[in-house]
Amino acid sequence: MAETASAARVGRVEFTGSRHELLAIIVRGYALMLPTIGLYRFWQATWKRRFYWQNTVIDGEPLEYTGTASQLLAGFFFALAFFLPIYVALFALSMQQSGLVAAGYLGIAAVIWFLMGYAIYRARDFRLSRTLWRGIRFDMRGNAWAYALRRFLWSIAMVATAGLAYPWMASSLWRYRWRNTWYGDRQFAISGNWRAFAGSYYAAYLVNLAAIGGTAAWIASTRDIVTVDGLPAPGPLSLLACLGCVALLALSLAWYRSRTASRMLSTVSLGEARLAVKIGAGALFGQFVVYALGVAALLMLLALAVIVVAAAVYAAATQAGRPPDADTLMSPFQSGAVNLALLILGYLVVLGALGLLAEIVLRLGWWRLLARGSTIEGVDSLRTVRAAPEDRALIGQGLADALNVGAY
Amino acid sequence: MQFAARYQDGLVADVRDAQCVIDLAADPVALVILDAGTREVIDRWPEADCYLLHSRMMELRIGNRRKPAGARLGVSGIADMRSALGVLPALAKAQRRERWTQARILVLATAALASVVVAYLFGIPLLADRLVAYVPPGWETKIGDTAAVQIERQLTGGKGYVLCDPDPQSPANRAIAGFVARVFDGLDSPFVPNVTVVRSDVPNAFALPGGRAFYLSALIQATRTPDEFAGVLAHELGHVYYRHGMQTLIASSTTGLLVGFVLGDMTGLSVAGAVGSSLIDNRFSRQDEAQADRFAAETAARLGFSPQGLVDLLERVARDDSFSRALALFSNHPLTDQRRAALEALGLSSAPTAPAFTDAQWQAIRDMCPPPPPPPLPKLSSAL
Repeated sequence: MAETASAARVGRVEFTGSRHELLAIIVRGYALMLPTIGLYRFWQATWKRRFYWQNTVIDGEPLEYTGTASQLLAGFFFALAFFLPIYVALFALSMQQSGLVAAGYLGIAAVIWFLMGYAIYRARDFRLSRTLWRGIRFDMRGNAWAYALRRFLWSIAMVATAGLAYPWMASSLWRYRWRNTWYGDRQFAISGNWRAFAGSYYAAYLVNLAAIGGTAAWIASTRDIVTVDGLPAPGPLSLLACLGCVALLALSLAWYRSRTASRMLSTVSLGEARLAVKIGAGALFGQFVVYALGVAALLMLLALAVIVVAAAVYAAATQAGRPPDADTLMSPFQSGAVNLALLILGYLVVLGALGLLAEIVLRLGWWRLLARGSTIEGVDSLRTVRAAPEDRALIGQGLADALNVGAY
Repeated sequence: MQFAARYQDGLVADVRDAQCVIDLAADPVALVILDAGTREVIDRWPEADCYLLHSRMMELRIGNRRKPAGARLGVSGIADMRSALGVLPALAKAQRRERWTQARILVLATAALASVVVAYLFGIPLLADRLVAYVPPGWETKIGDTAAVQIERQLTGGKGYVLCDPDPQSPANRAIAGFVARVFDGLDSPFVPNVTVVRSDVPNAFALPGGRAFYLSALIQATRTPDEFAGVLAHELGHVYYRHGMQTLIASSTTGLLVGFVLGDMTGLSVAGAVGSSLIDNRFSRQDEAQADRFAAETAARLGFSPQGLVDLLERVARDDSFSRALALFSNHPLTDQRRAALEALGLSSAPTAPAFTDAQWQAIRDMCPPPPPPPLPKLSSAL
């Protein structure tokens, strides 16, 4: 009696973090990034993960992230070992005949693409093996090289079929990842296959192909092209059509992403416990819209700042109502070091603001949608999971950092 | 004092509601964890082994160094949190210590990275200087040939150079070859420089790895005295002598590694990566230019022509304007003013004893690349 009652109980997932909490972490990170010559990024990543993990509460108990910044730092050093041979190859390549150089660069790009698969797997391993729930650690087994090879071969098939092979690729990689994921001594299972991707993927593929192809054909047939500074640009109606294409792309992306994540994750199980995920496409599209508006507002703000600065320089250079010449205008920028500082500052402001917006709107939004859309059937069956031995691998995350593929 | 907590033993994925009481009589002082319902003792945690973990707001998570890594006490609610911290004063102290440890690691790592960057900026030019000695000259010549083909394609849009005077035995070419031989006489260089004068609208001259140097015709047209021509030529020969092309190759291939490490993007594809690499590589390039200028001045002093010509010609074709001053850190050449100042500081401008070329030689060199004749006048068709 008690057994069936507990098996039926459904566990809820909540997310308790707020935007301004994450904002504080990011702003503090930016402030410390410059004086530490960028090294604070490892602490920043650790604090962000702590925020996401701690605020994800599964059946009343939060996740815990136990990784440290020093581990990330050490892992990055290890990753350098992967890059030294690549740099030596690039050096040798830079002295060869031009035909050989092109082939060599292609080869190195392929090696890096292959390594990215390895890095993605090891980064996931790093995060999972440092995730605790109810005092029990998650883990990732399997072979990262095998995953990298699988991903590499599938991407060749992707290119060869103009993207039509994607549902099989995605389901193959998802299955490999989830079937090698463990919670304590219990192994995850996933039953979803390519069918979970195919419908929404091909629909989105066709709709976008038709929209973009149709727009291009329409522009070509009506010659709705104006020249701006000698360069051809779409006319007003065509511009509207192009914007429509972008909106359609975002809409289909939101629909595809929420649908496949819901369908695939809902086939994940851990022993008798089953995950059920429901994410609305509308909520995700809403985030895209907020992000686009945010970027537009940001660009406007930046343009305004540039105008104000330019006006101030112009006003300072204007003497007695005479319009200044180029030399007087440039006079505040004579020092190379000041220019460099201005350039770096401008770059950091733009990049930092865009990164902040993406983190606060898109990443946090997606995480929150995933958490709040998830429920776990038979959550009480997890009470018997036992801990597995320690796993303290270091280098996986480092390579992901070096290749810029480590999410969260 | 006691507080309520959620207890996890780190062995099984189960959570038990517990009451925690401090046992001051025990030695060492320990936290006794009781089951909230039955009041039976589940576990005893010595205070010294307890530590605080990072947790979300309004929650404390306490771990134990001697228990399984996942053993936890979770405390929520302001009253329970306050009494937990009151009962275990060592927790807050350990947390402050941990914060200091993190800060120390960060400061040490930053200092280490900063010293690597500084060592790189000052060490690589020295190191590259030593390393080129181990590069076989034949290898460098081959690299120079490859580079020459690429530059030729770039400069002429794939059409190939038009040599101003293809005959190596012409008076002009013999005069240049004689000058080169005099400059390199007794210098013990593995290379025999080969100077080619080609037709181009760009007033420039450059040297490639392996001893090939190019002088473009527009620069000869801008040249007024034989000493100006000799000064620029000696500068390019300085690049050949110091093997700067090879040094640049060695230095710039490691710059990417350093910049990638600082920015965390080893692929070097980001804008910051490109800007960072160009800043460092151009700094090295400016040092090479200054060294080649010094070589030209020393050569002038040795052969007895005026070192002034180099800067005179530079001021005619590469005058500093406000934009070049503003972007000086992104330039691969020093500002012309700085080059003049550096040359004057050498104090080598003694009175010239002999011009670098005789009048007849200079005339032949000037006439190598005559400006193209004006287009023929349109023929008058019969107007009447």
